[in-house]
Amino acid sequence: MKAAVPVPPYLAPGRDLRLDFFRGLALWFIFLDHIPENVVSWITVRNYGFSDATEIFVFISGYTAVIAYSRMMLKDGWMRAAARIFRRVWQLYVAHILLFVAFTAQIAYVSIARDTPQLIEEMQLMGLGQNPYRAILEAALLKFRPVNLDVLPLYIVLLAAFPFALPAVLRWPWVVIGTSIGLYAATSRFDWNLPGYPDDKVWFFNPMAWQVIFYSGAVLAVVAPRLAILDHRRWTMTALAVFYLLFAGFIALSWHYNSLERLIPDWFARQIYPIDKTNLDILRFVHFLALGWIARLLVRPNAQFLKWRVFQPIRRCGEHSLPIFCLGTFLAVTAEIIVARYEESIVSQLLVSLAGLILMSLFAYAASWSKAQAKVRA
Amino acid sequence: MRQWAFVAAFGMAALWSAGAGAEMQCRAARELLELGNPLAIAKTAVAEERELRIVAMGSSSTQGYGATNPQFSYPAQLKMRLEKAMPGIKIHVWNKGIGGQDAAEMVERMRQDVTPEHAHIVVWQVGTNSAIRRDPLTKFAEKLRTGIDIGHSLGANFVMMNLQYVPAVVALPDEEEYAQAMADVAKEKNVGLFRRFEIMRSWYNDGMPYAQFVTNDGLHLNDFGQKCIGKLLSMSILNAVNPRQLTGTANTSH
Repeated sequence: MKAAVPVPPYLAPGRDLRLDFFRGLALWFIFLDHIPENVVSWITVRNYGFSDATEIFVFISGYTAVIAYSRMMLKDGWMRAAARIFRRVWQLYVAHILLFVAFTAQIAYVSIARDTPQLIEEMQLMGLGQNPYRAILEAALLKFRPVNLDVLPLYIVLLAAFPFALPAVLRWPWVVIGTSIGLYAATSRFDWNLPGYPDDKVWFFNPMAWQVIFYSGAVLAVVAPRLAILDHRRWTMTALAVFYLLFAGFIALSWHYNSLERLIPDWFARQIYPIDKTNLDILRFVHFLALGWIARLLVRPNAQFLKWRVFQPIRRCGEHSLPIFCLGTFLAVTAEIIVARYEESIVSQLLVSLAGLILMSLFAYAASWSKAQAKVRA
Repeated sequence: MRQWAFVAAFGMAALWSAGAGAEMQCRAARELLELGNPLAIAKTAVAEERELRIVAMGSSSTQGYGATNPQFSYPAQLKMRLEKAMPGIKIHVWNKGIGGQDAAEMVERMRQDVTPEHAHIVVWQVGTNSAIRRDPLTKFAEKLRTGIDIGHSLGANFVMMNLQYVPAVVALPDEEEYAQAMADVAKEKNVGLFRRFEIMRSWYNDGMPYAQFVTNDGLHLNDFGQKCIGKLLSMSILNAVNPRQLTGTANTSH
């Protein structure tokens, strides 16, 4: 009997629970990290190494983009698939604009209702004060992005370019990842970035650098079965990954303990710092790849714990990533306002973090329910 | 059962982290807050015009890169705190921070950024990018002098803010030389110097971990760092302008 040719994940039927789980987790982390000086954010991945939840979110976005649209392209042709991708881009764009309005409206509402000019000041600082009409125009062009509203514009740009890369991703994945890494390297070398507003601002997440995470996800979705080659070197790979994660963990720990920090020699620190986020420092990229490798080994697509009930809220959030991301960004501001009001106590941080996660989960359950209803009717 | 054991373990870990996250206070020794300049123009402006106009010239620290909210950037904090400390005095702070710029690039725009605002004080946050790019020290000092001369010709007091004490800067072989060059130029040109480098080093030496005041890129100040520098800079400027003494004289003269 011939061994069955493994089916690439993008053609396999059923839902890969790992994607929902890790994307949900990333959304929770992004929410927690967006609350300033939040003690609960200590549990998030950024405290234990170089990369953070953004890498997870962007990687899974690339991975799922292949899963969602490749089958459509193979069945209905490129035009149809491209049309669907642009429809999704449009949804993202609408969501981003809605979030922009809700985000600023919330700050405006609180400052008017409670007569706190500080918050109005905040809007001024965001760039809305001096020239609101211009700011709205620039927001529509994605050039003006108040703080924390940086991730969706990145996703929009990446997905808008995706239809043109999709055929190549399926046919010549290695060429695609090579090009992607080339663009990434050139971007950090020559300091390219897209223009922002006001004029001196650039994209906090530089799309030309961060695309490498997106296409790592996209290409891995295609070549996953062929990764069996790597499994022959499983122990070497794992040893390297573990070694690197320990190294990153040690550096991260040194930010918390000065006695450890003093052990790092200057010449070495000079090689690693600064660990740039805007242009996705190579240390961050490799850290994410190492995490990904370990996650691939430890969490099989059919791993039991993915189905645990306690994790269901996380998975539900991951299933509805767009509205949950928007809600999380909105609630992070609410949380910030509440925490600031209660003297920034640890209890208030714990409570708003928990309340936010519960609200996000409830919304995700409601979204699942409403989707199921729509299906029943159809 | 296993699920709940996992949740319990996770909760314990979270509590442990919360304990480790206990924060130290924002503070600095009094002598570190001495600017070494009386800021005479600012003082007069506060007393006579009931107004203080400040231009914050600088790079990413000024822009607020790394803070989760632009309100936490040190210029915004400066405005808030000065307003609170000097009620009735109109405070303006213009944020002219552009990420990534070094001394030479800021000198280029010094005139056009300071002129329209009629600044009484120019806070010039500078040095870090020049040090990272390894600009020659003599050229760096020369640029500082040129920048200060431009500001002086426009009728402003200067407060130079030196490098931040963070892993990416401390790792440089000669960061202290850059700080020293700034101190020398400050003395020579008779301008104020806000010794951010020494202040932050004192935090570190007192046992405050980097995680409390630096973002995890090892270069930029986080929310706490930005807010604390804003607070300490406000104290320094208030010490120099000394509004209490001013109101005192105002009272006796009436």
